[in-house]
Amino acid sequence: MSTLIPLYIIVPLGTAFITVFFAKWLPGLGKYLINLALLFLTGLTIYLVIHEPQTMIYRVGGFTDVANIPIAIFLMIDGLTKILLLIISLVGLFVAFYSIKYTKQYTCEGNFYTLFGLMLAGMYGVVIAGDIFNLYVFLEIASISSYALVAFGIEKQQLEATFKYQILGGVSSLIILTGIGFLYWATGTLNMPDIATQLPKHDTFNIFVSVLLISGFGLKAAMFPFHSWLPDAHSSAPSPISAMLSGVLIKAIGIYVIIRLFFNVFSLSYEIAMTITVLGTLSMIIGVLLAVGQWDFKRLLAYHSISQMGYVFLGIGIGMLILSTGGDGKIAALSILGGLFHLMNHSIFKALLFLNAGSVEYRTGTRNLRKMGGLASRMPITSATSFIASMSISGIPPFNGFFSKIIIIIAAIQARYYLLSFFAVIVSIITLASFSKVLKYAFAGKTHEKHNEIKEVPVSMSISMTALALLCLLMSLLIIPSIREVFLTPAINVLLETSQYSVSAIGI
Amino acid sequence: MIDFRFLIFMPIVIGIVLFILPESLKLIKGLLSLIVTGTTLYLSVSLFAFSSAEPTELYQMSCVFLPAINSFLILNLDGLSKLITLFIGLFGFLYTIYSIAYVTKKKKLFNYYSFFLITIGASFGAVLADNLLFFVTLWGLLGLTLYKLIKSHDDQSSATAKKTLILIGASDSILIMGIGIIFRMTGSLSISSVNIATSGVLASIAFLSLLVASFTKAGAFPFHTWVPDYAQDAPASSSAFLPASLDKLLGIYLLARICLDIFELTSWATLMLLIIGSITIITAVMMALVQHNLKKLLGYHAVSQVGYMITGLALGTPLGVAAGLFHLINNAIYKGGLFLTAGNVEKRTGKEELDDLGGLSKYMPLTFLAALVFALSISGIPPLNGFYSKWMIYLGIIEFGSGPGIANKLWMVWLILSLLGSSLTLASFVKFISGIYLGRRKDHLQTVREVNFLMWLPQTVLALLCIIFGVFAANWIVPSLFGFTGVSDAGAWIGEWPVQMVSILILISIIVGFIIYWIGTLKTRRTCDSFIGGEQLQEEFSYSSVEFYKTIAALKFFAFFYDKAQKKWFDIYYIGKGIVLGFSSLLSWCHSGILSTYMTWMFAGITILFIILLL
Repeated sequence: MSTLIPLYIIVPLGTAFITVFFAKWLPGLGKYLINLALLFLTGLTIYLVIHEPQTMIYRVGGFTDVANIPIAIFLMIDGLTKILLLIISLVGLFVAFYSIKYTKQYTCEGNFYTLFGLMLAGMYGVVIAGDIFNLYVFLEIASISSYALVAFGIEKQQLEATFKYQILGGVSSLIILTGIGFLYWATGTLNMPDIATQLPKHDTFNIFVSVLLISGFGLKAAMFPFHSWLPDAHSSAPSPISAMLSGVLIKAIGIYVIIRLFFNVFSLSYEIAMTITVLGTLSMIIGVLLAVGQWDFKRLLAYHSISQMGYVFLGIGIGMLILSTGGDGKIAALSILGGLFHLMNHSIFKALLFLNAGSVEYRTGTRNLRKMGGLASRMPITSATSFIASMSISGIPPFNGFFSKIIIIIAAIQARYYLLSFFAVIVSIITLASFSKVLKYAFAGKTHEKHNEIKEVPVSMSISMTALALLCLLMSLLIIPSIREVFLTPAINVLLETSQYSVSAIGI
Repeated sequence: MIDFRFLIFMPIVIGIVLFILPESLKLIKGLLSLIVTGTTLYLSVSLFAFSSAEPTELYQMSCVFLPAINSFLILNLDGLSKLITLFIGLFGFLYTIYSIAYVTKKKKLFNYYSFFLITIGASFGAVLADNLLFFVTLWGLLGLTLYKLIKSHDDQSSATAKKTLILIGASDSILIMGIGIIFRMTGSLSISSVNIATSGVLASIAFLSLLVASFTKAGAFPFHTWVPDYAQDAPASSSAFLPASLDKLLGIYLLARICLDIFELTSWATLMLLIIGSITIITAVMMALVQHNLKKLLGYHAVSQVGYMITGLALGTPLGVAAGLFHLINNAIYKGGLFLTAGNVEKRTGKEELDDLGGLSKYMPLTFLAALVFALSISGIPPLNGFYSKWMIYLGIIEFGSGPGIANKLWMVWLILSLLGSSLTLASFVKFISGIYLGRRKDHLQTVREVNFLMWLPQTVLALLCIIFGVFAANWIVPSLFGFTGVSDAGAWIGEWPVQMVSILILISIIVGFIIYWIGTLKTRRTCDSFIGGEQLQEEFSYSSVEFYKTIAALKFFAFFYDKAQKKWFDIYYIGKGIVLGFSSLLSWCHSGILSTYMTWMFAGITILFIILLL
């Protein structure tokens, strides 16, 4: 099966290429092609999740190891990667389906789908790369196509947002490259499993490189204090792209890499774990406090992405703290489960919320909550799905967000980080407050006179939103032990048995 | 053995199915709900009758589809949960009957029956659950349905819905933290096996967290502020069912579990509960005195009565616990009934302000009689049920006074405040009855007539329950319903109240009174309007029952507090909102949108990380 791994890069790259090549003659080709591609990749991912529990490795070019030194470029799929592949494919699929109608308002639709395909290839590449330099290359592919996509509407606000995003993103890429350079200097290899075995047990050096990498990838993951680009970029982008950026991109090229590097490549250290936990908690609090005061629908959602990523970092960070101090593995597993589960859930409900915001903007032409009102009777599907998504993100049962939050809170208490659990609770309350504000101002109340004539969004958009809303409900089932063992437990095991990564890849 | 899975999951599943039926089939939805609630009523009665030798019985439910979750589905069938289940079943059924007539197409309540049924199923589950995680999941779901059972069609009601959701959701989050701490301390999530003393910081935090959840649900000070707003803005069937009956049952159920099972109260906890109970009684009834909106007035009373239940449960003695629970049941009966009568008045007149109403007793006689019974009962007039449970609370307080602790020494304070609260309740219900039903009928109320059968039936049943629960309290109701608390025989209490004999005396005195009145009207007399100097009697001349109570609000001492209450100074929701938005605007000010600032943050962040981690 491992020969199928390159498809994750070939298929979206090929789609992008064909789209741009035939754009002149067949302008509608791109949108259907990318849907087919994602449908195929979703199917493939689900197949792999269920039938291939082992770590899969593909050596590009077929080079075999020479004297235990891996010289080929590795593409690897293990439990953690599968989670990311699943959310990229699923969210990507629904977003692409939603875009079919949504992108009609832009002039050169072909370019949109080309960039979309490139961004997908970049994200897939980052999560399956077993080689830190290729990871960097794919990271740049994903980032640069996202810079272009943010500016796709080429209006003043979007250009300003993409400018900030590019500058900060560029600087962070440079910092990442510096970090990679240092790693190469110290180990003489770029293969991540190999780096893990070669890395000197030199604390100061490791921490120095770690700080560089945390800052660089932290910016991509919108971690405090590197979060400042996110609200502009995510709110200005076309809504399907916002959904991709908030739902998937910051996880695939930010959080995933941080988790991978600091669990599997670097040896676990208490200082780094503490840094991740503290910065995660700060992101969580600051993000939500900024979000609750916003009146721009998408900006509010964007700030919530910062806050919710804080939850993920909190869950992962506590797990890391316990593991690095040699605490109870069960509690660490619970905490990591909370973090990863919240990561999956967030990608679903945040993508849905951005699609909702897109639908509202599509019909009313505004993102200002004060100018909406009473849309529930006019746009019942948008209203119902955004209700479900809002309840999910606020952690109300029976939706998925409730279960991941409760796990994180209970794990924090079990690990005796009472203050952190208290913050998690407070942030959850403020999240609920800000989403009840959205529901009140956008969907409840009297219908604005201007909006008496508006209709529900077109069918393809409604179907996407309904499907994601159903997923919000169905993902709750992942908590049930027998289902959890298929999806989440392999990923947790990757993080619990930190050295297994190298062992399974290069046998050391 | 009955399959209790039906009790919990049947209403939820049918509720979900009802989402699919279109809104135009409201009547069919209603009838289907009636069948479901009828079945659950039958099941809850048979559950109550089902007895076992063990004092606490755990019952393992099994889920066919997902056997993996079976360990969560353990039910706790003890006296307390059976009692609450019985009354959830009863109220669910009665309010469904009412809803069929009340929730018509004009009301624009979407998916009302779906959420109604889910509420019932989730409440059964929350009350019967033994596993705290199963409990908290259903408990959280109840907050959601509460939010959906108010129609948010205008600014005010959507603001109320938002406030309700935030307060309830916040308390649920805090509840999760409390449960986490309990799990951390005991390693167990089973209600029946946990028992922690409320000493030590962690245990106290857990205790307070659970208390917040219970107080918010039941509507006790200072988390009560959603209740009056919800009562005012929600449809009457929702406010009768939720804040008046069901949420009281659930909130106080949780409080009883906290006080009796999960924690052992130490003296500070008892003292705190008694203080909160007394504050709740007095502040809410003071607010109720000056309300002009009839549903909001009832909403404040719904808060005030919770104070009695908290006081009763805080005493911790068998008598106190039985009294608190009996008051809970009584309150659910008469307060639910009052909301139903308010709904009837609103349905027929379209008015909710006391100033716009008056003189309806002749035209809505059944509603009037029921409302009178409820009002007398809530004010604690013998021989109705409200009197008897308050009587038990007073006796409980006196008995409690003989104990050693600080809270016991202050028994006189609790007693006086409870008595004061009761008299103020009576004062405000004089306004309620006279404002709506007595006095001159306003001109715009000419066409008012009695409501139909489906709408007066539930309130009549409830009014009869008020009388039965009052008259037969001592020998029948209290021992059979509250026997599990270990309450001793009525004869062994400090005060004795031969309730049947008193009832007969009261009945005789009423009959004698009628006879005297009847003899007095035997002679034909001439009746005419009051002579007012030859002027035509005009509407402005009618006395307004509201006016008198305005003088209370104008008293110097009270005026200050009323004024501040008007400005929402005491509303925890607005206090929290102010703090959060303050921080929010401060942070927004920092996020200026200038690239160089952001860049500075980034490098400052990296530098600080270097300094902290490398030096």
